[in-house]
Amino acid sequence: MTRGAALLWLLLLLAEGGPKASVSNLQVAVDGERALVSLVLRNAFDGALLARLQSGLPTEIVYRFELLRDRKRWFDRGVAENTLEVAAVHDAVTQETTVNYRLDGKLIDTRTVRERPAIERAMTRLERVPVFSLEGLPRRQRLLVRARAEFGTRMVLGLLPARVATAWAESRKFRPAAPAPSP
Amino acid sequence: MDLRDRLLRHRKDTRLIVGGLALLLFVLAAAFYLLQRGRDLPAVLVANRLLLFVLWYANVVLILIVLFVLLRNLFKLAVERRHRVLGSKFKTKLVASYIGLSLIPVLLLFLLAAELLQGSIDRWFNAPARPVLEQGSAVAQALYRRVEEDSLRAAGRVLAEVAELDLESPAERTALARRLRALAAEHGVDLLAVYEGTEFVQAVVDPRAGLPDLPEPGRDLLEEAVREGRALRRQAPPGGRGRLLLAAAAEPGERLELTTVVVAGDVLEPALAGRAEALMQGEQSFRQLEVQKDDLRASHFLIFLMMTLLILLASSWVGLYLARRVTVPILALAEGTRRISGGELSHRVDVEADDELGVLVSSFNRMTAELEASRALLERRTEELLEARQLAAWNEAARRLAHEIKNPLTPIRLAAERVLRKQRAADPGLGAAIEEGVEVIVREVGAMQAMVDEFSRYARMPRPRPVRVDLGKLVDETLHLYRGVKPGVAVEGAVAPELGEVWLDPEQIKRALINLLDNAVEATPPPGRVELRAAAADGHLEIRVADTGPGIPPEAKEKLFLPYYSTKGRGTGLGLSIVHRIVTDHQGTIRVEDNRPQGAVFTIELPLQA
Repeated sequence: MTRGAALLWLLLLLAEGGPKASVSNLQVAVDGERALVSLVLRNAFDGALLARLQSGLPTEIVYRFELLRDRKRWFDRGVAENTLEVAAVHDAVTQETTVNYRLDGKLIDTRTVRERPAIERAMTRLERVPVFSLEGLPRRQRLLVRARAEFGTRMVLGLLPARVATAWAESRKFRPAAPAPSP
Repeated sequence: MDLRDRLLRHRKDTRLIVGGLALLLFVLAAAFYLLQRGRDLPAVLVANRLLLFVLWYANVVLILIVLFVLLRNLFKLAVERRHRVLGSKFKTKLVASYIGLSLIPVLLLFLLAAELLQGSIDRWFNAPARPVLEQGSAVAQALYRRVEEDSLRAAGRVLAEVAELDLESPAERTALARRLRALAAEHGVDLLAVYEGTEFVQAVVDPRAGLPDLPEPGRDLLEEAVREGRALRRQAPPGGRGRLLLAAAAEPGERLELTTVVVAGDVLEPALAGRAEALMQGEQSFRQLEVQKDDLRASHFLIFLMMTLLILLASSWVGLYLARRVTVPILALAEGTRRISGGELSHRVDVEADDELGVLVSSFNRMTAELEASRALLERRTEELLEARQLAAWNEAARRLAHEIKNPLTPIRLAAERVLRKQRAADPGLGAAIEEGVEVIVREVGAMQAMVDEFSRYARMPRPRPVRVDLGKLVDETLHLYRGVKPGVAVEGAVAPELGEVWLDPEQIKRALINLLDNAVEATPPPGRVELRAAAADGHLEIRVADTGPGIPPEAKEKLFLPYYSTKGRGTGLGLSIVHRIVTDHQGTIRVEDNRPQGAVFTIELPLQA
């Protein structure tokens, strides 16, 4: 490696400084034909995100979900994908922050929060969000969900825009629930 | 590709260049517009840094295009220079000048502008605007909070008083209304409302507040008040003007349905609310700019970079185009010069140019046209001259032939007259006279016969039939005839050994050599020397016959090869004419010069090819 490349690598490492954001506690609950996903996004709500939020600019965290079969080969695993966009806008006059939740582009919830912890909670904790439909999937098939969060872009070396995203996190494996007995 | 194709291509190039420059102008104008409107970019574009991504990738693409155009053309120039293509050096200089002239100022301008912009952006955010805006917003927030705290105190006092009332009793409810009015006046609030859970109980509204209806506080305010003991809201009043500040108080920790909640509110007049909120929003806008500072800096930097690259691309393209535009006529002129020098005087340079090169091309074409006309005139004149010379030669030949024929006629006539005179006079010497006269007549007729035969042979000389001949052997055989013929005159010869076999008609060339050697030997008094040498020179076969005789007078050199011209005063006068004819029929030339230090030298040049 040349000296220049090593310096660039070091600068990139420095630019990445701080605790790394991650998706944790990724849990899937099966509710009939639906997979309800819960997770916590840690270390994403940093000073930059808060400053952006307080400035009144739309601040968005995009959660990407993939429903996978428990198979070895990657090309044989995919079942479905979905996206949850959590977008917050702060109003300086009312001191309220409106958080909108859009699953697959459709608005599913809107919350108004006022305090910073409540805002962080609203944006980084997902509770039983019905991300996937399990309808039609074989019962014996073991599945899992993986998720990651993208929270905007950052500037590398003050010039190069780069996406900021967590690594993929995987849930425990689960099976679709047995169909409810007919009355 | 010939010049015409290249010219046509250049016309297309012109359209391409004009189109490209128009597109460049449009892009620059759009970039300038975006730069000017940078603060008003759509929120989505800014929020997702979409503009940055677009600019970044546009720059990467532009850098690649500029590199491709430059490297491709530099490579072509290098190849052309290596192959010494005409005009490549000029083209290289022109392109280097254009790129150099544009690169240095554009890069300097880019660096200066980028630095200026960065400095300006830093100064914007370092300016005292931030503390002013922050303080202004803080004052506005403090005003709102103070009003909210007042309302909250009023709500708490009402809550304390209401807790002692039985709200189921109509009488107490009436009393509550009076008490609310008194408390509202006492605390200076515009609104006081009491709820049992979410059920409305009683409320008073100051008519001066301008509220047409009792504002709906909303279930979440009541719930929050029950949960937290207090809750605050800022909302638009039912009339839509000004700002309504609500404060709710309740006993915390109880269920909403079982709890009394008191809501107090104040309406800020539109002018005051407008100014306060303008301060808050101003500070928020400033924060937005601060958050976007890096993006703004990077966007401007990338837009400058993009414009720089576009200018570089345009300048290098224009440089290459102009270089081609200049070198194509030069190439055409060079090609024209080559063809003209090769004798193709009808060639014209077919390149349209409306600048000085166009003038040069026109001058060149005019010059070649004049050259062509001059050559045609010269050829015509030469032809006429040749015809005249030929006519004169034939006149001379006819005169000499007549003279040669007349010479024998005089002795014949004198012999005949003498016989007639003797016969008339019955001279006893008639028999002898007849005998002498007949001898004269027969001799002179014989001479006339020989002369006519020679002339006939000259006139009917066949076309040469070249075959492969060993010239050394041919020269040896010819020289052999003259060795020892004239005592005191040495006859020598030499043929260059590298000549080997040559293509010519051996009989005719031998005849020509014999004629030349005949004259040379005869003209050289002893002691003297005659030399015959043959060698290759400049792709020709050169045969020289030199003698040490008296030489040829200058006035005789011009007529020497004409028929019946002779300096000897005897012979047929056809010998050198025959030599000339043979050499000419072999596509060769013959000339006579003075030999140094004495004598004459005849030089025959024949082509070496078959």
